[in-house]
Amino acid sequence: MSRSESHDPIDLRRLGAGAADTDVEAEFDYAEFGDVATELALALPPVSPSPDLKARLMSQVAVTPQLPAQAVEPAPTAGLSPVPSLAPAASSATDARPASPAEQRASARWFTRTSATLVAAAAAVALFFGGVVSANLFQPGDDAAQQLAAIVAAPDVQTVAAPVSDGGSATLVSSESLGLSAMVFEGLPELSDDEAYALWYITDGQPTPAGLFTVDADGQVVQVLDGAFEAGTIVGVTVEPSTGSPAPTTTPIVAIPTQA
Amino acid sequence: MLVLVSTDSEAERDPLASPDAANALLQRVATGDQRAFSDLYDLTASRMLGLVRHVLKDHSQSEEVVQEVMLEIWQTAARFDPNKGKAVTWMLTMAHRRAIDRVRSAQSSRDRDTKVGIRDLDREFDSVSESVEIRVEHDRVEKALSRLTDLQRQAVELAYYGGYSHSEVAEMLSVPIGTVKTRLRDGMIRLREEMGVAS
Repeated sequence: MSRSESHDPIDLRRLGAGAADTDVEAEFDYAEFGDVATELALALPPVSPSPDLKARLMSQVAVTPQLPAQAVEPAPTAGLSPVPSLAPAASSATDARPASPAEQRASARWFTRTSATLVAAAAAVALFFGGVVSANLFQPGDDAAQQLAAIVAAPDVQTVAAPVSDGGSATLVSSESLGLSAMVFEGLPELSDDEAYALWYITDGQPTPAGLFTVDADGQVVQVLDGAFEAGTIVGVTVEPSTGSPAPTTTPIVAIPTQA
Repeated sequence: MLVLVSTDSEAERDPLASPDAANALLQRVATGDQRAFSDLYDLTASRMLGLVRHVLKDHSQSEEVVQEVMLEIWQTAARFDPNKGKAVTWMLTMAHRRAIDRVRSAQSSRDRDTKVGIRDLDREFDSVSESVEIRVEHDRVEKALSRLTDLQRQAVELAYYGGYSHSEVAEMLSVPIGTVKTRLRDGMIRLREEMGVAS
């Protein structure tokens, strides 16, 4: 913190440094002495957090939207819709672009090997959609939530978001080390009683069924995929008869590639 | 006593030893990079918890505070301006503020008073002074603290390490609040000089 900066501690509060304090007059002057305070803090013995703290935190991070650089105070209840980060994308991703709806719908390409374009698109999408959905999706003790928490806490977690052609959005969270992936849907249309959404792992153009699910009127669902996840595979969703199909019978409403 | 009784500290990578690493990670976090957030957590969490628990004393409450602060860091990472300071300062400032917010809630204060036993305003000045010795790891910080006058050091220790408000410190030391502010300010400026903090 520069010495020449404003001495007004309100500045830090604007940076999101904490909740309003009624005792402004009597508080520590971080704006002026943040640098010295940091030295004092780092002189204290570190204390190791319990491992599940990180797991809880990472599962929150996976579903908590980020706020833009210039904005009003953080809202206590984050919106449900995807919040693209306004932060500039990393320069390494300048060639990447979000997957277009055409790509999402292109079943022909969907069955082909992952192209470099799709991988780049996935990287860009991951950058643009830091977190996608509300943390209120889950009930405590929910198996899907627990598995999702484990995936997002994995060191090799990949997160890729994409629009769904019929409406809504999908976020794939995957970890090869765990061999698990989960899809987090939002705004997904309700289907008729004789239909279900089908998940597919597509590896080398071969689709493998990975589970069926339906969605309530709220359009929100977290679905952990059946079977083992391998990095580089594509995860797709189709609408199938409620009894399922051995192979996709309709054009996928979303297909998300992962990086090998 | 403000002296840490716990000995479960461990030698970890010091974020200060590589402030650039934390800065770079935080800027990647601002782009939605969850892996960078994971790395940033690994780099800083034990230092953040060390600070928060020092103020709050209660371990599980301190973990809650760290979780809240870390999530806020995820949400607001895009607002960090590397031109205005180091990432670790931005993060630890949030943590310190949040720990103090928590300690000022009634229940926390009771819990802490039980553990710390320092808010007995009838205590003699000297006993307060004895009870706020801080065990510091950093030689540099310890040396710098030793260069302060006793009165400055008390003010710094109570206001920062103790998390007490200026008015609370004034009450404890039976001096006017303006005196506390002056001692604290002079003490922090002296510390900066002694430690050679690059600002």
